[in-house]
Amino acid sequence: MSQKRRSKGPGPSQGEDGAAEEDHALTQTTSQVQRNLERLSPVQVDQKVSELVQFLLVKDQKKIPIKRTDILKNVIKDYKNVYSEIINRAGRTLKQVFGLQLVEIDTKHHIYILVSNLPRLEGENLKQDDSTAKLGLLTIILSVIFMKGNSVKESAVWEMLRRLRVDPGEKHDVFGDVRKLVTEEFVRQKYLEYNRIPHTDPPEFEFQWGARAAKETSKMQILHFIAKIQSKDPKVWTTQYNEAAAEMAAVGGPDPGTSGDAAGASQGARRRNH
Amino acid sequence: MSQAAGGGDSQQGRGPDSARTRRQSFPSNGAVQRRPEGGRSAADGEDEEAEEEQAGESSAGATDGDRTDRRMLRHQYRQLIDRVQQNREDMLSSKSNSLTEALQEANKLFSGVSQAREAALDAQFLVLASNLGKEKANELHSEMTVFDSPAFAEDLLTFMGLNRLEGEENDSDDDGITGGFLPNNAWHTLGAEAERYFRRAPSYHYMLGSFNADPPVPRQRIERQKRNAGAEEKRAMPAQLKKMEESHQEATEKEVERILGLLQTYFREDPNAPISLFDFVIDPNSFARTVENIFHVSFIIRDGFARIKLDQDRLPIIEPSHEEEGRQNDQSAQVRNQAIISLSHQDWKDIVETFEITEPMIPPPAVRQQNGS
Repeated sequence: MSQKRRSKGPGPSQGEDGAAEEDHALTQTTSQVQRNLERLSPVQVDQKVSELVQFLLVKDQKKIPIKRTDILKNVIKDYKNVYSEIINRAGRTLKQVFGLQLVEIDTKHHIYILVSNLPRLEGENLKQDDSTAKLGLLTIILSVIFMKGNSVKESAVWEMLRRLRVDPGEKHDVFGDVRKLVTEEFVRQKYLEYNRIPHTDPPEFEFQWGARAAKETSKMQILHFIAKIQSKDPKVWTTQYNEAAAEMAAVGGPDPGTSGDAAGASQGARRRNH
Repeated sequence: MSQAAGGGDSQQGRGPDSARTRRQSFPSNGAVQRRPEGGRSAADGEDEEAEEEQAGESSAGATDGDRTDRRMLRHQYRQLIDRVQQNREDMLSSKSNSLTEALQEANKLFSGVSQAREAALDAQFLVLASNLGKEKANELHSEMTVFDSPAFAEDLLTFMGLNRLEGEENDSDDDGITGGFLPNNAWHTLGAEAERYFRRAPSYHYMLGSFNADPPVPRQRIERQKRNAGAEEKRAMPAQLKKMEESHQEATEKEVERILGLLQTYFREDPNAPISLFDFVIDPNSFARTVENIFHVSFIIRDGFARIKLDQDRLPIIEPSHEEEGRQNDQSAQVRNQAIISLSHQDWKDIVETFEITEPMIPPPAVRQQNGS
């Protein structure tokens, strides 16, 4: 049943067909796009860019990745011949005005997410809602997955959560249906991958990091989170530290800014809640 | 097997010793380890005798050579086990391959094993080797910290502000789950901390709120289903009705033709005897059939294939028109007459009695047709 659940939405074959078709229609050289652009009024194109920016922002509210198919159908419509220009400009606007980055997490099916480009503000009045609490739960699951070798059995996750008084079989005050949240919502948002372990009968499932998790955070960040909670130096977990450092070097990402002032900042975070 | 298990136990007992004490205690360990072996060899002797007696009984073909080979094999196994036990430190060193080499040697020996006694020695060696392997692995881990998820969970609870002193009693007997009071905002506290490790885009909301971007799905779905069902019914209905009309019309036409055919046959059989209309249409068994017959005959008359006249007794008779005459008179020349015949149930009874009609001249159509109409 859970497998079926996971294959919700358009079937992969259908999606691929559509993507292939679109790819064909959208393969445009820069010069072609420029030529097409000359035939349209700049005002109209600007209008499309604004519509796309708004569309992406509203779509991101649910944190469900945005498909190019949906963008084309709902926003671009007759402007397909200048699609690449519109999406580039929208990306620029999001970056310059909102401090967000438009990331294509799946280059085959063309799926986008928004990621913050700015360092996080520390403050007393930051908005907190249930999504904040959910992120805490998610971070714990990501931590367990990473520390246990990047893939962890479903049962190990439930055991961990049960220790934290979150029982997947019971309705939780904050999270509601926890099983659904973890195996459906987080999966749909691409924070987690939830797959059947091959050749298991009865079927067993395992969790891995999803594409969004890899973009929004990193192994090094998660390691620092764990180190902070356990009041240890992240380097004590040698294997994981080396793995995280290797990933960081490969991505060429900046050193996590939070590691230096973690202690002071967390005091702020605690004070906020008392 | 019990010997092998005993060996395992004694090693497990030794497990917690630190490397230093182990080295000191090693000779004594070796002695302990070997003592049961010495004790065992006495038992072994008995076993051996018993076994060999059995072998002698069952297969006289057991040769001396076989026995020597097996004794040799056992000797090699015991040597190997002794060597491994006496070189523990070397085996445990992460730099040496001695343990692997010993395992490979045992593997070679095992290819010669054919009976349970040698296999038991092999198992004994395996227990020893795996215990060494476990110790080796533990030493490796002492260089770094292993991720300990229960400890992580405890630290998380502490971070979330768990008050271990007050709160609900822990009625669940699950050990490992600590009791205590977890504040309501516990998960928000943790979430706020977690957010600092994410580059999550703040979600975009209107200051005065906005309506949900998702359409009210369930209601819409119900409406759509209803509409679909309605459309299907509408689509189905006319098709069905059309079909019914068609078949009805067809049935009427067929019936008219059948009756005309009957009329012509009667007339051909006896052209001089006029056919009484009453005799022709009245069905003495059924008033309804009679009415139907009159209805069908009226078509024949209208189309000019037959005509109704009065005979000398001023009783109505029916006769088919001559072919050409019928065609020519049809519609063009003949004046159309309309007449209404009234026939009550009583009339029908009277007619049947008066004219002594016992059998219908028009037999009822086949059952199939009756069902169809």
